[in-house]
Amino acid sequence: MPETRLLFKDIDVPGIDRIDVYGQHGGYQSLRKAVLDMTPEAVLAEVMASNLRGRGGAGFPTGRKWSFLPKDGRTRYLVCNADESEPGTCKDQEIIYRHPHLLIEGVAASAYAIGAEHAFIYLRGEFKVGYQILERAIAEARGKGYLGDDVLGSGRRIDITLYLGAGAYICGEETALLNSLEGKRGHPRLKPPFPAMVGLYGMPTVVNNVETLSAVVPILAMGGAAYARLGTEKSTGTKLFSVSGPVRNPGNFEVELGKVTLRELVFDLAGGPLEGREIKGIIPGGSSVPILPPEKLDVALDYEALAAAGTMLGSGGVIVLDDRSCVVKSTLRLMEFYRHESCGFCTPCREGTVWLGQVLERIEAGLGQANDLDLLRSLSRNIEGRTFCPLGEAAIAVLQSGLETYRDEYQAHIDQGRCPLGEAAR
Amino acid sequence: MNGENLAKARELLRHFPHESSALIPILHLVEQEFEYIPDAEVHVIADLMGITAAYVESVLTFYSLFHRQPTGKYLIQVCRGLSCQLMGADELSSFLYEGLGVQRNGTTPDGMFTVEAVECVALCKNAPAVQINLEFYPNMTREKLEAFLDKAREEVPTDA
Repeated sequence: MPETRLLFKDIDVPGIDRIDVYGQHGGYQSLRKAVLDMTPEAVLAEVMASNLRGRGGAGFPTGRKWSFLPKDGRTRYLVCNADESEPGTCKDQEIIYRHPHLLIEGVAASAYAIGAEHAFIYLRGEFKVGYQILERAIAEARGKGYLGDDVLGSGRRIDITLYLGAGAYICGEETALLNSLEGKRGHPRLKPPFPAMVGLYGMPTVVNNVETLSAVVPILAMGGAAYARLGTEKSTGTKLFSVSGPVRNPGNFEVELGKVTLRELVFDLAGGPLEGREIKGIIPGGSSVPILPPEKLDVALDYEALAAAGTMLGSGGVIVLDDRSCVVKSTLRLMEFYRHESCGFCTPCREGTVWLGQVLERIEAGLGQANDLDLLRSLSRNIEGRTFCPLGEAAIAVLQSGLETYRDEYQAHIDQGRCPLGEAAR
Repeated sequence: MNGENLAKARELLRHFPHESSALIPILHLVEQEFEYIPDAEVHVIADLMGITAAYVESVLTFYSLFHRQPTGKYLIQVCRGLSCQLMGADELSSFLYEGLGVQRNGTTPDGMFTVEAVECVALCKNAPAVQINLEFYPNMTREKLEAFLDKAREEVPTDA
């Protein structure tokens, strides 16, 4: 069961991060086609026809997001969300560090389509080296006329400004990102108004993920309809999945949506569990989605099938837990993450993640009390549907699903006063 | 800020469509120069941008990569994302805490090393991952860390 490489088609070509090599492999042909042969409306139509859905986690149709921009003559901005911070997810990182021109071409073509002269790439602060790589690539692209005041002699201005965040998971939420880009604390904004109406500096703005914007390049090369023939009816095209945790061959893999199962991804592409180990569970869409037990691994990797299985495709960050991984300890680790990353703006998330963390800590330490599992359920319900942004829901996804699926392991911690896996537990 | 960074900061004020966007990039300049954000610089930035020091403080304390206390010449950040924890991140941080005699977020007395355990750095496929001065060190082991520490100590005499 092979990968289907569109974004990663040339990623292993030596020097593909340099514009000449990228050009020799068909680089910037999509942008050239868009800017010289197509109207912005025609580019939008191709993206609409492709049925491309946002690859950052929410899966919202990209063309529709673009079409929400009001036609009122105000300045428009395109913002690329390169704040990749979802635990288990490292696909955008690989695009930025190894294939920067693919992203730049995608950003430029998308900016053209939505009528934005100015695009931003907001990188998480930890991608400082990625910032330097993109800085050099942007300079190369300007030198060749792919960016600047008169792109390829078309009379159109498209330029990209890089911006380095400073360490805050919440800035992956698009309105928090916009606040951060404006030099503020990264608190999410109330929606509506959506960024399409009131975005960066109050102007109409589209925010798209790195992988989403990169996918515009092959979509324009092959045509939206051809892209839509890949995958399933509602989950079209290819998607990058990051597989991590105790497997033999962790990595990023690009597969056709709906044509590969979670089992095939983890066993055939990522090599399966380590010698002598068995899989205990898999978190398939980044740490913010429910965990799946081994009996559900034959689910197809597409938005609908994963939803039907009770979880989400999310960012495509696949975290594998094996029989030495303690579910309580792993869930505690995630809760500590959300506790640290809660922006503190709304009470259920700020307080709830602290309380959940404390209860999980004592269960993990062997000091759990008889009613602690009920307490975890009750605290979770006080977060569910009651937070200002999706971070609260994200924080309880693995906990709530794990409390059902791995109830015995939680209970054993309380009954035995220690981790039932003993010293070897990770 | 030194003269060069002050000039860069003034340029940053004009770099974005809106001056407010310059704040975080300017904080990065200060963090890079001093290896933390000193009190005095909070006021320098406030004056430069025409905003209050309290506002600067409110923004900088929101973000994990800005430090209010001095950090070492080498900022070693051990990723404790779930994937890295499953692959042995705890052993790496314990090794560093014990080997360098520091606690979490602590700095060695000679000002050489600060050790932090940080949230997911997006290098999950190369777990366990470490960042040193924001450069990625994938697939880390105790041995590789040891080699790094030895090399760093050789390059800079401790009495320097």
